[in-house]
Amino acid sequence: MGAATETFYSVIRRQGITRRSFHKFCSLTATSLGLGPLAASRIANALETKPRVPVIWMHGLECTCCSESFIRSAHPLVKDAVLSMISLDYDDTIMAAAGHQAEAILEETRAKHKGQYILAVEGNPPLNEGGMFCIDGGKPFVEKLKMMADDAMAIIAWGACASWGCVQAAKPNPTQATPIDRIITNKPIIKVPGCPPIAEVMTGVVTFIITFGKLPELDRQGRPKMFYSQRIHDKCYRRPHFDAGQFVAEWDDEAARNGYCLYKMGCKGPTTYNACSTVRWNGGVSFPIQSGHGCIGCSEDGFWDKGSFYDRLTDIKQFGIEKNADQIGMAAAGAVGAAVAAHAAVTAVKRLASKREHADHNS
Amino acid sequence: MGIQTPNGFNLDNSGKRIVVDPVTRIEGHMRVEVNVDADNVIRNAVSTGTMWRGIEVILKNRDPRDAWAFTERICGVCTGTHALTSVRAVENALGITIPQNANSIRNLMQLALQVQDHIVHFYHLHALDWVDVISALSADPRATSTLAQSISSWPLSSPGYFKDLQTRLKKFVESGQLGPFKNGYWGSKAYKLPPEANLMAVAHYLEALDFQKEIVKIHTIFGGKNPHPNWLVGGVPCPINVDGTGAVGAINMERLNLISSIIDRLIEFNEQVYLPDVAAIGSFYKDWLYGGGLSGQSVLAYGDVPEHANDYSSSSLKLPRGAIINGNLAEVFPVDHANPDEIQEFVVHSWYKYPDETKGLHPWDGVTEPNYVLGPNAKGTKTAIEQLDEGGKYSWIKAPRWRGNAMEVGPLARWVVGYAQNKSEFKDPVDKFLKDLSLPLSALFSTLGRTAARALESVWAGRQMRYFQDKLVANIKAGDSSTANVDKWKPESWPKEAKGFGFTEAPRGALAHWIRIKDTKIDNYQCVVPTTWNGSPRDPKGNIGAFEASLLNTPMVNPEQPLEILRTIHSFDPCLACSTHVMSPDGQELAKVKVR
Amino acid sequence: MMDAVARLAESERDLTGIAADGSGEHGVGRPTVYVYEAPVRICHWVNAFSIIVLMVSGYFIGTPLPTVEGEASANFVMGYVRFAHFAAGQVLAVFFLVRILWAFVGNHHSRQIFYIPVHRRQFWKEVLHEIRWYAFLEREPKMYVGHNPLAQIAMFVGFTLFVAFMIVTGFALYSEGTGIDSWQHKLFGWVFAIWPNSQDVHTWHHIGMWALVVFATVHIYAAVREDIMSRQSIISSMISGERQFRD
Ligand code: HEM
Ligand code: HEM
Ligand code: SF4
Ligand code: SF4
Repeated sequence: MGAATETFYSVIRRQGITRRSFHKFCSLTATSLGLGPLAASRIANALETKPRVPVIWMHGLECTCCSESFIRSAHPLVKDAVLSMISLDYDDTIMAAAGHQAEAILEETRAKHKGQYILAVEGNPPLNEGGMFCIDGGKPFVEKLKMMADDAMAIIAWGACASWGCVQAAKPNPTQATPIDRIITNKPIIKVPGCPPIAEVMTGVVTFIITFGKLPELDRQGRPKMFYSQRIHDKCYRRPHFDAGQFVAEWDDEAARNGYCLYKMGCKGPTTYNACSTVRWNGGVSFPIQSGHGCIGCSEDGFWDKGSFYDRLTDIKQFGIEKNADQIGMAAAGAVGAAVAAHAAVTAVKRLASKREHADHNS
Repeated sequence: MGIQTPNGFNLDNSGKRIVVDPVTRIEGHMRVEVNVDADNVIRNAVSTGTMWRGIEVILKNRDPRDAWAFTERICGVCTGTHALTSVRAVENALGITIPQNANSIRNLMQLALQVQDHIVHFYHLHALDWVDVISALSADPRATSTLAQSISSWPLSSPGYFKDLQTRLKKFVESGQLGPFKNGYWGSKAYKLPPEANLMAVAHYLEALDFQKEIVKIHTIFGGKNPHPNWLVGGVPCPINVDGTGAVGAINMERLNLISSIIDRLIEFNEQVYLPDVAAIGSFYKDWLYGGGLSGQSVLAYGDVPEHANDYSSSSLKLPRGAIINGNLAEVFPVDHANPDEIQEFVVHSWYKYPDETKGLHPWDGVTEPNYVLGPNAKGTKTAIEQLDEGGKYSWIKAPRWRGNAMEVGPLARWVVGYAQNKSEFKDPVDKFLKDLSLPLSALFSTLGRTAARALESVWAGRQMRYFQDKLVANIKAGDSSTANVDKWKPESWPKEAKGFGFTEAPRGALAHWIRIKDTKIDNYQCVVPTTWNGSPRDPKGNIGAFEASLLNTPMVNPEQPLEILRTIHSFDPCLACSTHVMSPDGQELAKVKVR
Repeated sequence: MMDAVARLAESERDLTGIAADGSGEHGVGRPTVYVYEAPVRICHWVNAFSIIVLMVSGYFIGTPLPTVEGEASANFVMGYVRFAHFAAGQVLAVFFLVRILWAFVGNHHSRQIFYIPVHRRQFWKEVLHEIRWYAFLEREPKMYVGHNPLAQIAMFVGFTLFVAFMIVTGFALYSEGTGIDSWQHKLFGWVFAIWPNSQDVHTWHHIGMWALVVFATVHIYAAVREDIMSRQSIISSMISGERQFRD
């Protein structure tokens, strides 16, 4: 790798950062990952001996909210991440080069850093129309994605798009937008869902990889356990109101002003795995529930297709009907109740009749 | 083979063809092809939106109260503005009014986006078209400090500050891992700044990167997060509770203070960093006044930032509303979103199908069916395009026209309309800016003018934020803390059928959504967004859109390095995810790529 | 007596024999058969009670009661409702398991609700007969020591399968609270491979409740009706375990 082979530590030292503040950074990182003091020195050691990892950041069908979120990171600051922690060699949204000069970087990275770069994917490839709903360099994006995935060390699926498909994959998914783990099957994929994911979660995942030199532990669905193993609801500060049975019933009602639980307004916190209620957003300023709107479940698979965001019991669309579980259930129970009653009535009449018959016979 | 377009541009595609794909530092996917003559001057330009997602099809049959969340995901850069447009469209259709406070809060959110987006656009998407990062290494920190202090009183301007920065940059460059600066056009003659100005700009690039994340905290306070804050049909979701029980969970004094301090800081940044930087850079590019395109001719603004809740008439709107055609600033035409003859979309050169492609369709009646075919003179194959044929279909963007005219939208369009209406809050800053650079009014109609208008608007927006913050507090003081109107929240209270529209001025320009509601569900939803206007391909008459017009007649220093193309295209701040949106419900599947 | 039980338990077809010639005879002494052993009965009533608790509490989890006033820490309405649900859920799970185990050691009848003899033609014939009986097309019901074939299908689908479904999805939901390192998640987390978004699990769990409501309605009606109409005891046999054949 020649001149490129230099360590994170030497880079930040040469950038005028003292050893002291370097160690402070390491222990902050350790704390923010919920790790003990021992880990801090391990991080320091890792950073002192490793070159900056090349990162290739590609965009499929998306809205760029993941990139926008990434640049909101408060710790580390994104400028420090980009200047000192990773080598963001390709990212359509911020890179200086365009056209051939941009494409050339991809070729170079594959050749020079084979098996050593991280491929970060924002958005997903559409498969309809020969993939030409997303054209990149005159070709379908999906081709470029596969090509870069082949030589990557690991792949990060940013956001709900790359992880699950997100809005363009909502029914009827006209472009056949496809989550990347259905395209790339031979590489580890770390899903960092959310629409977008929280900035510090994004930088947290990246810095974890470069500091610990391994991929984070994932849950059954491929999400890093450190940020996605609990629900919004499990750590929501309005949870005491939930347990007490204190709910907002209408927008801007007394309960809303008192900060009661948003369960009845359709809050999806009870079914959503994300770090919002702990890490919170934009440097910890707030998160959706704190600002009065329920969680819409933006880090969950197919959250667009689960009925209105404002319904507690959401509509089921499976059988060509659009009703929620209670409406369906009550209708069914009602029908059966009526049938039973009718059956009982007929039975009673028949029985009476046959008794009379019997009586007639016997007399 | 020169031809003249009806809107007065000469096109000649006989020269060498240059292809830029991908165009980077934009939102989404885009391709540009130009022909240059023997002197490397651009004589023909073709701009193509190269992605498409079909959000409107997806919206069909959904709950109109959810539409904001879907449309918000059209774009994560101008995050929130589609959501605002959407809730306005639904409110317009169903006759829902919102409380005063909700209006002030929405304005604060919209303006915060305006400022943040403009700053990020200028420093992180656009600056590298003007600023040579590598040249900054040879700057004298002392001279840089003098330069910085001469243009503003921003405190981060000591020689030591610039020296440290330069050292950090140097180490970064020497590491050999140039990251996002890799393969840039460093050293090109198209860069005109002295090293000191470059160094100052690099410093502000990094400062702006740190600062932009503070601005969006206003979204986080009211909408819970950014990107993609939460909105509500009928108001805003955040309740106000300044001194009652449970106030810690609502908009309270601490939250209001936080907003206030962010507004102070952004006003300061706008006025001491952003605008002075644009003026300083402009002073070195005074003789590079290309890229005017349609701006001196046909511009369109819908207006936004209503002073009074629920009043979207021009008199209530603080951002100007109106259309100018044929370069006649003396007459500003009114705009009506509901008039079927005004706004229409054409598809002759777009990858869609109409029964009669010579006619345009109003968004309420928009039909759209994808039709991906290349023109007869295209080179390459359908899945490996080498060169497009602008004589055939060539873009995923439709071609919207206002009374048949191709229009430019965006900050410059807004400011030209405000200027033409003689509104001093728009006219005076423009005149002052031009005077300081000793440039004539005609210089406004250029790439530089577009970039300047954006900076002026950021300053304007910052001051408006202070105004609406005060207004919000005054209204709460007067005893009104309502933030949502729930009278028509329940679908049972809606009419069987309804239609409406909503509009805003997104950072990138005029944005509107049209909605039809039937049996409490969305029946038809259409968005016509800023980049659809600016990035539009040609129409049946051959009128070219704003991107294409702006590239014409620009000389390139080196056609192998598309710096000038990027500079002008970036001055529009294109957003391709926004522009390439529509499609029919019966969009048939064509070939499929095999998944391994 | 024991012989009789054994004989009856071996073959239901013998009982249909009773049906064939038993009509109108008054002189025959009423046979009494021990059908439901104590564990079956205990399980039944514990489960029935749990299911009722689960339905009521589950409904109020889905649609909570109106907001209560006062400090959050002074109230625990939702907490109690959920506690009742989870407690009843655990009880149901345990007794459902016991019931399954008993099917291995218990008598023939204890196994009946866990399978459908799909391969036996005679079985389907009798199903048809039962349908006709319930549709008032047959004048005389047949006598069965255990379930009649239609009831057997209903019991298998309506209770065995549905209750199992509720327990599986219920524990999967429960594991969301106990966390991904809990035994609940290790045992039932696979449910989220089927529905990656747990909102769907909630929805199906909720629908499952209504399915059980429907079956419970029919079940109780059928039990009461059969007790009165056909020539065998039902209600008391679920209490005493003994089935009496009347007429
Ligand atoms: C009038 C009241 C009831 C009577 C006479 C009755 C009777 C019976 C009988 C005879 C069986 C067959 C047992 C076997 O074949 O193993 C049974 C099974 C069952 N019943 Fe009921 N039942 C009554 C109420 C209920 C209620 C209220 C529920 C719950 C909602 C319920 C739930 C069940 C279940 C889950 C089974 C199958 C599992 C088992 O055998 O334990 N029953 N019932
Ligand atoms: C016949 C049995 C059952 C019935 C009828 C029943 C019914 C329900 C209903 C209606 C809900 C509300 C679903 C929603 O709208 O979100 C619910 C939630 C739940 N049930 Fe059950 N359930 C049963 C068995 C179980 C079992 C065996 C467990 C396991 C312990 C269980 C655990 C849960 C959990 C954890 C929830 C979610 C509670 C929450 O979101 O706070 N259920 N149940
Ligand atoms: S507001 Fe949402 S996440 Fe918070 S406790 Fe209520 S339901 Fe759970
Ligand atoms: S609270 Fe829910 S909807 Fe909001 S950001 Fe977090 S996961 Fe997404």
